[in-house]
Amino acid sequence: MSKLVNIIIDGKKLKGPEGANLLQVAKDNGIKIPSLCYHKKLSPTGACRLCVVKIKDVNGLVMSCTVAVKDGMEITAFDNELEETRKHTLDYLLAEHNEHADGTYSDEFRDWITHYKLDNPKNRKYPSFFKDLDYKLDDSSPVLTYDATKCIKCFRCIKACDEVQGKNVLSFSERGITSYIIAGFDQWNESECDGCGECVQLCPTGALVEKPHRDKIQLEKMEKKVKTTCPYCGVGCQIELLVQNGKIVRSNGVEGVWPNDGRLCVKGRFGYDYVHSPERLTTPLIKKNGKFEEAGWDEALDLIARKFTEIKEKYGNDALAGYASAKCTNEDNYLFQKFIRMVFGTNNIDYCTRLCHASTVTAMLKSIGDGAGSNSIQDFATTDCLFVTGNNMIETHPVTATYVKNGIYAGKKLIVCDPKWTPLVKYADIWIQPRLGTDIALLNGMIRVIIKEDLIDEEFIRKRVDGGLDAFEELKQLVEKYTPEKTEEITSVPKEKMMAAARMYATSETSMIATGMGMSQQVTGTNNVFSLINMMLITGQIGKERAGIDPPRGQNNVQGATDVGCSPIIYPGYIPVTDEENRKRIAKLWNVDYENLSAKPGLTTVEIMHAAYDDKIKGLFIMGENPMVTDPDLNHTEQALKKMDFLVVQDIFHTETTPFADVILPASSFAEKDGTFVNSDRRVLRVRKAVEMPGEAEEDWKIIVKIAEQMGYDIGNYQNASEIFDEIAQAAPMMAGISYDRIEYEGIQWPCPTKDHPGTDTLFLDKFNTPNGKAILNPVEHVPQTEKTSKAFPFIMNSGRILYHYHTATMSRKNKALTDFANESYVLMNTGDVVKYDFKDGQKVKVTSKQGVLETTLRASDHVAVGELFMPWHYSESPVNRLTRSDLDPFSKIAAFKLTACKVEKV
Amino acid sequence: MIKEKKIALVNAGKYNPESIDEYLALGGYNKVKKALQKNPVDIIDLLIDAKLRGRGGAGFPTGLKNKFTNESVCERCVQKYIVCNADEGEPGTFKDRVIMEQDPHVLIEGLIIAAFAIGATKGYIYVRGEYTKSIQMLQVALQQAKEKGFLGENMLNTGFDLDIEIKLGAGSYLCGEELTLLESLEGKRGYPRIKPPFPAEKGLFGMPTLINNVETFAHLPYIIEHGAEHYKSMGTEKSPGTKIFTISGDVNKPGYYETPMGVTLRSLIDDLAGGMKDNKKFKAAILGGAAGTFVDETVLDTSMGFDTLKEKGAVLGSGAIIVMSEERSIFDMTYSILEFFKHESCGKCVPCRIGTAQLMIMMDKAKENSTIKSQVLDQLIYEADYMAKNSLCPLGQSPILPLKSLKKYFHHQF
Repeated sequence: MSKLVNIIIDGKKLKGPEGANLLQVAKDNGIKIPSLCYHKKLSPTGACRLCVVKIKDVNGLVMSCTVAVKDGMEITAFDNELEETRKHTLDYLLAEHNEHADGTYSDEFRDWITHYKLDNPKNRKYPSFFKDLDYKLDDSSPVLTYDATKCIKCFRCIKACDEVQGKNVLSFSERGITSYIIAGFDQWNESECDGCGECVQLCPTGALVEKPHRDKIQLEKMEKKVKTTCPYCGVGCQIELLVQNGKIVRSNGVEGVWPNDGRLCVKGRFGYDYVHSPERLTTPLIKKNGKFEEAGWDEALDLIARKFTEIKEKYGNDALAGYASAKCTNEDNYLFQKFIRMVFGTNNIDYCTRLCHASTVTAMLKSIGDGAGSNSIQDFATTDCLFVTGNNMIETHPVTATYVKNGIYAGKKLIVCDPKWTPLVKYADIWIQPRLGTDIALLNGMIRVIIKEDLIDEEFIRKRVDGGLDAFEELKQLVEKYTPEKTEEITSVPKEKMMAAARMYATSETSMIATGMGMSQQVTGTNNVFSLINMMLITGQIGKERAGIDPPRGQNNVQGATDVGCSPIIYPGYIPVTDEENRKRIAKLWNVDYENLSAKPGLTTVEIMHAAYDDKIKGLFIMGENPMVTDPDLNHTEQALKKMDFLVVQDIFHTETTPFADVILPASSFAEKDGTFVNSDRRVLRVRKAVEMPGEAEEDWKIIVKIAEQMGYDIGNYQNASEIFDEIAQAAPMMAGISYDRIEYEGIQWPCPTKDHPGTDTLFLDKFNTPNGKAILNPVEHVPQTEKTSKAFPFIMNSGRILYHYHTATMSRKNKALTDFANESYVLMNTGDVVKYDFKDGQKVKVTSKQGVLETTLRASDHVAVGELFMPWHYSESPVNRLTRSDLDPFSKIAAFKLTACKVEKV
Repeated sequence: MIKEKKIALVNAGKYNPESIDEYLALGGYNKVKKALQKNPVDIIDLLIDAKLRGRGGAGFPTGLKNKFTNESVCERCVQKYIVCNADEGEPGTFKDRVIMEQDPHVLIEGLIIAAFAIGATKGYIYVRGEYTKSIQMLQVALQQAKEKGFLGENMLNTGFDLDIEIKLGAGSYLCGEELTLLESLEGKRGYPRIKPPFPAEKGLFGMPTLINNVETFAHLPYIIEHGAEHYKSMGTEKSPGTKIFTISGDVNKPGYYETPMGVTLRSLIDDLAGGMKDNKKFKAAILGGAAGTFVDETVLDTSMGFDTLKEKGAVLGSGAIIVMSEERSIFDMTYSILEFFKHESCGKCVPCRIGTAQLMIMMDKAKENSTIKSQVLDQLIYEADYMAKNSLCPLGQSPILPLKSLKKYFHHQF
């Protein structure tokens, strides 16, 4: 923080940080100097020339946006000459401007025109000539329209794309008076524009406008603007929903608050249509004679209560299970786990985190004591070196990736480790491309280089690692055999690259790790992350600001659902189910006999399906999950679901899973309820009701309370979500200091143990969250994969996400903007293989594994290595999990989604 | 009767520019050898003492520019840069081209001396893309200089490293403006930068950078060889040394002429350019190109120096002199100049983008209706004055120069 200096603007004495932007300092002090090209998030441009001022002892007029504040500066911001000059400039702009406005966008330019009374043509001096410029409208993008006749050429869109989003898509074509904005080489739809809409958000006129709902929107008639949290990935972007006639018609990024400071991706900005989809579930449905029939709530609740009670009495508590939801709020999930534990009386509760980061969390919990990311989103821009492994961040966490790109442009280093090319590779200093399933060998090889070249942090090992140098010695001996040559042989990564990456990570002042599904979704998932953590610990790249390990979370509330106890082994706040003291404490809080709370760890998601197949689980309550797409080995999952005595699915849409249900309950979307989500950097963020639910749909937590009541249990009498959160704060110690009033404006990062605690941006600065406060090294060996290619199955299939879709696509595919960008399943195959096996790009193919078969379209691509395939897993018509195995990582029970031997045949 | 005096062009025509051996035979690179023995600060002091002023048009003291760049420190700087502005685009100016085509080595010598003085280890020559012969000569000369050890690592065993690269302009007038040139050198579109920071502080790639015109660099070897006193003995007190004037238009012998500063326009036309073509009457001259000024016969006997011309409301600029006889139309010339500005305006800032277009709208009106011309001239000046005060870079600040001088000398003939 720079020191405050004194300046005088128009006789008014002010203070501002030395070197700060004069225009901004004036703005912050309530002096609104006219400006158009300036935006707080962007570097000053000096193009519009409206913020002109005079400074004592400086010759001529100066633009305040380009002046750095100095002590004693005396500024004239308003006098006749300056005001006349501004009018002159605005009058000029009007001459090249098409003034037709349709009320669908806010218009800063228009506001200044009105301010200077230039809206009256009599006050103007210059004839309009915009028609002579002969501009064409670019309407080619699925999400926005560019109208050059309304463009004031302020550069804000270009800088939004470059400096904020790091995408560099926009520029000017032509020169001078005839210049206009183009995307890529010309048209928007042919460019690399991915539709994030940052340019639209920062455009001060109607030149760049959103396309969706443009015919309906009238800003003047807007009923309300509701600040809430994006329902897609785990970044937790703050959005503002504009509601007109009871419907969401626009979503803007909220400026000035973490984690996104106004930034959004295409899903956050254009992915809200599903809320008002006609396909929404609006009444409870009961399956009668194999067909779903509409039913009243009473009938449905009665049936559910009766059936669950029957199963409980007949087969015991552990014959029941529940799937919580990473899409629901903390309040929904907290009550869900309370219901499962209190009413079902079992710990058989899990959710899809098991399918994504369970291994990461297992490894992190054991070695450093917390499964959540150690850093904050802003650290992605400021850490000196970022090591991204198995994480296609630009597509899966697009807004986090913008911070990474900001860092790159500021000279920070980036290492990408991924078997598949991802867009982040374009920005990387080093890209290492190991063979699928060889991560441990690679990391052990890197650790060996770090040790051999003495790049370790000995003091850190001595002070903060359990067992100190003795424990280190064990690791040292284990990695000895991973010589660069051996490592190259296993991983196929050229040893020079591997060594360069090791050095870059170890020698940077601060290094951070971002790890994703590529690491976790393997049978060696936990060990993969152990070896990552080993490398981090011996180099001391944790326990200080801007260093650590972060697993960006795939879903909006995957973090929160575990935080509030939706896990078979832990209670809210990561306290083991076996902890008797805690069970006693919780029993008191829930007003229940503590003996009724099971101490027996429950089953995980995939285990629940296995148990159902073996007739051990008879009844299942699914809240907002879709195992018929998410689970591995779907044929097996399908049989398990069919064998279930009673299945309740509570969701907002029919999904691939609902056909197997006995009762379907209509639930609420994120826009229809109050609550909170926890994002990837442990930030508790508010979710606010913006619109009404369709039909008889209900808030999820209210449904849970009703089912409990019907089964004869009182799980709490809550008036609103805020009261539930207050109970969460009592149950989960790391959230004890958080309540709705504290997170009204901006989220707070846990741990936040007390009401006056500001929250924690970096974990482990003083100690680790392990029993003795020290981190634990877990040396692990590379084990060759059991899943191998063969003559019959010559390819290895990898799977993952794409930018435009989310999870099982039940939400994202109901948005025209998103399906306009992408709506078709495909499999990527290396171009060399395409030629070798005589395939053609774009042809239909059949992909078969030992587990199943599907049809999709072949795409030739150099983004995958020879012998490897890649499929996005969103598309239920070609569900890649028909192919995957249900082999599990022994420690975390995560399935091996990332590695399946397959064959490809022409159809 | 004035005579030419050659400093920048001292070797021009005396050797085959594609043969460094011929250049060495003329004593080439002795000045570099001499300079590299000196303390860099002494070289800068010498330039300050010689009162060398930038020959690109602005006339800023070169020594001071060197001093600022030399003293510029920044924590994260990888290196300092030296950049030669050879994007000669001012209408009527072709002096740099002559130097590059006929004596590329004097420029390279000047660059080495300046780079050594400020501690730059990387240099760029940004050449106008259409100057194919200049480019070719520079390429050959740089290659030969490298082969002889005058460039590269540990130059002449002094421990000093310098590498020089050629970069080509792509036809934008504005890229001759120093900050725009740096932007273009960085591979970006040629838009002007906000000033300050000046290049000496944050120039190419954000590093301290010395950027000078070709002719300015070409003076350095001479000053090293002959010293400041000798240099100051030529020209005027405030504008010492020589200047290449490029004379075009209605004269008998258009061309380039290097003379001491301070000669009169009359002597340049009569003694060197062979007088007015077909003995027509002198009507006007445009000094400094499009971003220059009109003068009439009352300025013919004014000393051609940066400050003396300023007193007459004129500029020396790049040394371009476009001579117009009595048959030429001041209005048509003004029309061409303003059209040129509109065409070259980059469009970044509002006053220049729309101002240059507005000026043309007014000129077209005046073209159609000559009765309103004097009224239009006042309007033009009003707009150009606003543009000069509010524009981001020198382009938008330029139209006022021809217009104001026009008003001063020719308002009756507009």
